Amino acid sequence: MYRVFYYAQRDLLRWIRAPLNVVSTLAMPAAWLIFVGLALPTRFTDNYLDFITPGILVLTMLSAGLSGGSSLMFDKILGYLNKFLAMPSPRESILFGKILFITSRGLIQTTIILLIAILIGATIQPIYVYPITYLILFLFGILISSFGTTIALYIGEHDTYAAVSTFISMPLFFTSSALMPYSEMPDWLNVCAHLNPISYAIDAVRSVGAGTFPVFEMAFLLSASFVMVLISVVIFRKITVR
Amino acid sequence: MDGIITNALTKNYGSLCAVDSLTLKAENEIYGLLGPNGSGKTTTVRMLTTLLSATSGSAEVCGYDIAKEKSQVRSCISYVPQDMAVDIRLTGRENVDLFAKLYGIRDKAERKRIVADALEVVNLTDRADSMTKTYSGGMKRRLELAQALVHQPQVLFLDEPTIGLDVASRRTIWEHITKLKKSGMTILVTTHQMEEAERYCNKVGIIRRGKLIKEGAPAFLKADLKKEIITVKSDGNLPQSLPEGVTFIETNESGFIFSADKGSNVLPELTAAFEAEKSHVIYSSVREPNLEDVYMQSCGDDRGDNIPFDDRQFRNLMTRR
Ligand SMILES: Nc1ncnc2c1ncn2[C@@H]1O[C@H](COP(=O)(O)OP(=O)(O)O)[C@@H](O)[C@H]1O
Ligand SMILES: [Mg+2]
Repeated sequence: MYRVFYYAQRDLLRWIRAPLNVVSTLAMPAAWLIFVGLALPTRFTDNYLDFITPGILVLTMLSAGLSGGSSLMFDKILGYLNKFLAMPSPRESILFGKILFITSRGLIQTTIILLIAILIGATIQPIYVYPITYLILFLFGILISSFGTTIALYIGEHDTYAAVSTFISMPLFFTSSALMPYSEMPDWLNVCAHLNPISYAIDAVRSVGAGTFPVFEMAFLLSASFVMVLISVVIFRKITVR
Repeated sequence: MDGIITNALTKNYGSLCAVDSLTLKAENEIYGLLGPNGSGKTTTVRMLTTLLSATSGSAEVCGYDIAKEKSQVRSCISYVPQDMAVDIRLTGRENVDLFAKLYGIRDKAERKRIVADALEVVNLTDRADSMTKTYSGGMKRRLELAQALVHQPQVLFLDEPTIGLDVASRRTIWEHITKLKKSGMTILVTTHQMEEAERYCNKVGIIRRGKLIKEGAPAFLKADLKKEIITVKSDGNLPQSLPEGVTFIETNESGFIFSADKGSNVLPELTAAFEAEKSHVIYSSVREPNLEDVYMQSCGDDRGDNIPFDDRQFRNLMTRR
């Protein structure tokens, strides 16, 4: 299983050496933070930035996970996958390496976003908040990157996947609890937000900040990511053994 | 048995039979699988490297069954696919090092040595620390060869290793392949280049539409043909009737190509046949057959289904004038 790390290391190296990719994936969440977090007039809180930061952190992971989903598909299209599959190492380590890479990359990006948030005025939390926040984001990252990877592998085409991932991420973000508390939502949005898996991650990060350990949300994320990884293993096996 | 044995290996894609009852054997040699585009070479290699499961039939690689002992098969082979795939943002050394790690060489010092050796074998030591982005096509192919060598495979699969390369790079690749064979490796190479197969392979299997139609040493295949090749350049069309014992093979840029047992004996008759239809023979020649002729006789006009330009139709148009 140590090969999982080698695969992830390869991808991280390739990513870090393309500086434009690194910057471009950060542009969106940073813009949200600055333009919406700082500028939006709100009634329910005097520090909207503090309210929106958990949502933006999760958004960062969401877009990192979905955009990373195409990575394994590209390896397949460009022929790397065939070379890896002909090796004696367990084939699943290719998939797990990919999930690990996308999630770690997402964590690096959320760290940068978190630093920007603090820089522009978000409140610094007690130190114990951060490891738990990272754990939540990690679980959410596993969920979303295995989801993206599976969908992309299944679709198999780069532009179709790009369309699908935009189609998924926008509504998911806007119908979550990212932008406003449940109490401020119209009824229909309230229902959507409660059903939305993104809300679980956001609510979890918020409750850590408020001083409670989000047992229910964590349990949800843990089981959802476990199931999602299982599904991706099944699809991956199907795609690789013909 | 260290090499490859296949027994009626077959692969269907729906109703299309891509590989049809292929039976071949290769051991301690360079085996060239020669055939036009779409004849089933890649499909064969993918089955033998356990990337694709066979519809029926069986095969053994290094004595392991490709269906039942996939991971043992994978532990004794290396595979360089047709499409070049090296990480352009990694250096040559990093590319090879990645493979060494994935092949399970965990000792750092040992890995460093093995990677350096593999790079040395393919003459890439000088450029090992440059980004692969800056490599030429031939260098990338050699780098892929180095990646394949880090775990010292018993059987090496190379799918069209020289495709898209210039003449000098092709030569270099083949020289490396020849060197590897001398070290005792079994190498299965696919190609659609007759001259390369003739010059470098110990054994050649000609495959057409998934069927192995001829197999043997290049010299043996040529001897088998026993015929001589006649080329005729004329200002007219192909005669309606040809003299006894003359077979039309194809029309190419040098003219009409025929084969006959004794070329020089039938040449006058053939010339007469042209003149009987009011065309003149501008030039004619007789020569010994080469592997290309064996190939053309076996594969005929079948130049592959991937070429959109149908020259058969074109030829009809030309002759109808
Ligand atoms: N995945 C596939 N699905 C359907 N048909 C395929 C697939 N791969 C190859 N083929 C068909 O199988 C035949 C053999 O292809 P291939 O093995 O790639 O030939 P070669 O490598 O000799 O050019 C071709 O007719 C090709 O169109
Ligand atoms: Mg091919």
